[in-house]
Amino acid sequence: MIKRSTEVSVPKSQTSHQASGGGLQALEVLDDCWNRIGVVGDQTCRELMRHIHCHNCPVYSAAAAQFLDRPIAPDYRREWTEHFALDKQIATPAKISAVIFRVGGEWLGMPTQAFQEVAERRVMHTVPHRRRGVVLGIVNVRGETLICASIGKLLGLESTAMVKRQIAVFDRLLVADWNGQRIAFPVDEVHGVYRFHSADLREAPATVAHSAMSCATGVFPWRNFTVGFLDPDTLFASLNRNLS
Amino acid sequence: MLFVLFHLGQERYALEAARVVEVVPLLALKRFPQSPRGVAGVFIYRGRPVPALDLCELTVGRPAQENFSTRIILINHGKNPGDQQLVGLIAERVTETLRREQSEFLDPSVQLASSPFLGTVLMDGSGVVQVINPERLMMDGLALMVSNQPLSALNSQSTTEALDASH
Repeated sequence: MIKRSTEVSVPKSQTSHQASGGGLQALEVLDDCWNRIGVVGDQTCRELMRHIHCHNCPVYSAAAAQFLDRPIAPDYRREWTEHFALDKQIATPAKISAVIFRVGGEWLGMPTQAFQEVAERRVMHTVPHRRRGVVLGIVNVRGETLICASIGKLLGLESTAMVKRQIAVFDRLLVADWNGQRIAFPVDEVHGVYRFHSADLREAPATVAHSAMSCATGVFPWRNFTVGFLDPDTLFASLNRNLS
Repeated sequence: MLFVLFHLGQERYALEAARVVEVVPLLALKRFPQSPRGVAGVFIYRGRPVPALDLCELTVGRPAQENFSTRIILINHGKNPGDQQLVGLIAERVTETLRREQSEFLDPSVQLASSPFLGTVLMDGSGVVQVINPERLMMDGLALMVSNQPLSALNSQSTTEALDASH
């Protein structure tokens, strides 16, 4: 806490009288009651009962407004004149919302509308004679039995040695819902919801022979990664083929 | 109803926020030679010239102080919906807003012929606030100048100059 010199503080009546005079004087006689009896001071101000914090008090905001009652800087007018002479630049709002998640070493995104929830990893029951395919087993999510599928296997993503070294403490179970079909799939990490412009969505590179790209409508940049944007229609169609 | 509060000298006034297009800082103004009282000049707002009236000069009789809190309140006085005829009103200490209902308006019971744009009054914690009527303000002699009708050869000429300067 900074100890303020008492010379700064003056009786309130005097402050308001001189402040109303306007001009430079107002700043020098500012009554910093918040430092004396407010939240920074000894907190004996009676108004604190009502306002809880000095930030909510009209005396505090009036003092802040007083800072604007001083002559403008030399370049102030010129700078603002230049600013307002130009047309207003309105940024186009981000249109696409995606949930970004990691499977192995690959960051993937899928429209947020396709997701129902991000759940904790839980006990999975394996299904007999279904050990090699896309279906990993069944899980219980809020009392409902859902098929648990491996998105990595579906897309043909291989878990590399580099990924194995990372500690998988962020693993989650994503519950997707598309046209009434609900599927759970475990992922290694969920970043969360990310919004981006449709202009940022680019064609998936043709050189990439990943089968993952057959489900991807494109790629978009996120942090230092290029994220494959999955199309739920294609993904669920591909999943259904593998289920039967 | 929401009002923008401001000061003209020592007195407090309000303007209906629905009429306000934007509140901009005090900008550099192109002044007119021998302009009528209250006409501060013209400034370029988003690529077009907008005239500015100094409310301080109209009411108190002195130009507004050049403070950070002195701002230009842009209002639209276009008669028909869709057409934008902007005018900037220079006022001091434009830092607050106030919310009041129509029923809380009081008749000031005195109407001055010299300032017909001063309308009903409102009460708040720190006293009386008078509402400015923008229509009456525009109906004043100033309307001739701000609605782009040539007031005199001198004024129309300087408006063209300001336009040319903007390009």
